[in-house]
Amino acid sequence: MISIRKPSTAMRDPAWMRAILLSVALVFVGLFLVLPLIAVFSYAFEKGLDVYLASLVDADARAAIRLTLITAAISVPANTIFGIAAAWLITRFTFRGKNLLVSLIDLPFAVSPVIAGLIYVLLFGAQGWLGPWLAAHDIKIIFAVPGIVLATTFVTFPFVARELIPLMQAQGSEQEQAALTLGASGFSMFWRVTLPKIGWGLVYGVILCNARAIGEFGAVSVVSGHIRGQTNTMPLHVEILYNEYNRTAAFAVASLLALLALATLVVKQLVGLRMRRAAPEHDVAA
Amino acid sequence: MSIELSGIRYRYSDAIALAGIDLTIHSGELLALLGPSGCGKTTLLRVIAGLEFPDQGTVRFEGRDLTRVSARKRHVGFVFQHYALFNHLTVFENVAFGLRVRSWRLRPRRAELNRRVVELLELVQLGDLAQRYPAQLSGGQRQRVALARALAVEPEILLLDEPFGALDARVRGDLRRWLRGLHDRIHVTSVFVTHDQEEAFELADRIAVMNQGRIEQLADSQTLYTEPASPFVCRFLGEVNELPPALHARWSDAHDAGAIAFVRPHDLDLQPVTGAGSGVAHIESIRDLGATVRIEASHPALAVPLVAIYERGRFDAAPIRVGDTAFVSARRWVIFRDAARA
Repeated sequence: MISIRKPSTAMRDPAWMRAILLSVALVFVGLFLVLPLIAVFSYAFEKGLDVYLASLVDADARAAIRLTLITAAISVPANTIFGIAAAWLITRFTFRGKNLLVSLIDLPFAVSPVIAGLIYVLLFGAQGWLGPWLAAHDIKIIFAVPGIVLATTFVTFPFVARELIPLMQAQGSEQEQAALTLGASGFSMFWRVTLPKIGWGLVYGVILCNARAIGEFGAVSVVSGHIRGQTNTMPLHVEILYNEYNRTAAFAVASLLALLALATLVVKQLVGLRMRRAAPEHDVAA
Repeated sequence: MSIELSGIRYRYSDAIALAGIDLTIHSGELLALLGPSGCGKTTLLRVIAGLEFPDQGTVRFEGRDLTRVSARKRHVGFVFQHYALFNHLTVFENVAFGLRVRSWRLRPRRAELNRRVVELLELVQLGDLAQRYPAQLSGGQRQRVALARALAVEPEILLLDEPFGALDARVRGDLRRWLRGLHDRIHVTSVFVTHDQEEAFELADRIAVMNQGRIEQLADSQTLYTEPASPFVCRFLGEVNELPPALHARWSDAHDAGAIAFVRPHDLDLQPVTGAGSGVAHIESIRDLGATVRIEASHPALAVPLVAIYERGRFDAAPIRVGDTAFVSARRWVIFRDAARA
């Protein structure tokens, strides 16, 4: 857990140094984060509210929003379950290849999302390893919804696990052992002890995972095929509109994503606050 | 319920924790596992609980082999050193936990469950704190919640890992006597781990002194004190003077090079003599401890000072002053022939 302490006087920088650092940070944030955010909304509304709303209720836009939500609704729960299982495995057991597994979980962070998309094309595409077999059984993965879900799941793979592993390591397993000696079954122990312990950390991980699942562009772009109304997610839809010089509509859809990002930030802050407050002082064994 | 352990061996990846333990704990007994840190006492307790499975050997409860049976099915109450209370549950729910997780056929009805939990909270004198959370309790209160939680499932064996280790000295003494009283009332077979010999002596019926994964001696406190089985037991059970047998005429039959006579401070006599002679001790310091008086004396044959502890009355009857010279004699001693200092 992050502990916030006042730096000691001996470590404090002189006033002019603090002023410079602060203004550099503020200018940077303003230029690269706040200004673009303002731009998104001002372009979205430049032709008025009617045009803005019209570009959101457009059939293709609605299809894109629906597909994005479906994708998130599948990949977020999948990665939540996987993340809990992986964190449990890594923090509760020692086994050969544990470090390899930890590195593998981080893999999606390390590789470019475009490469991630390409991997699936090479695997499931018409010219790929499994392509002919899939074609023979009439299963479409690439340029279809399953491919988009797969690519999104791959990219958002690490969020929940990454959040839980350090938390569960810090908490140790004494409470679970206590539950065990009291006769709790594995499920009972998980449901009544572990889940409440990791609760807010889990919520935090799921929020980050969800934000990324909705915003993912690179990997999805490679496997989607950009079929309007069918395999376009929101970020892809924004790109298409923009490339067609339909700037207002592009920014209108983009503003939805931006709003979502802002909402995520707020929820993330609130949850972070709850986590720090919920952290019991006496939990850690000496 | 009796516990029979035979040939228990356990090794961690880098160290041997238990090097062959044979131990029988009688039904209704209160037994202490006493030893320095790292001697394997906690591992042994966890083996009894089923939280660790031994590499070799068997664990039997009342003759029933449970070596490979999970902790979940052993019906053993376990009190963890740091209590391991469920922080997200109230005191009441902590104690109720063991009853709530039972399969529905064995689970008591709501009224019955309430009655049992309240009864247990009364037993550990926490009746009015039922709705508090563990973070709102003091160390001693948490300890008692942990105990009530362990007792809620009506175990026939109660295991406690350093039950008083995390408490301050005064609370520790009170809780110790309270726990002894509790055991005398409910007679559950109990084993507790401690590194504090005073705690073991005050609480336990019998004490197993452990060292490097073995039991050095299993006996009641008096036997441990008067007939220690090894130099280790002697040294571990409180302060002891280690003297070369040459110092004392009556030890002359033990004049081997490696032999050492162990004398407790309260068994050591210092008789003041006039003038300086050879083979006499020189009184260096006298500290009044209230009920007793602690006297330290240097001796030409010894590197460390001799320590004698006199009861108040004895000291007043035969006053000794700093700077006196004195003959050294012992009223009781144990000689180990091969006990050269480690």
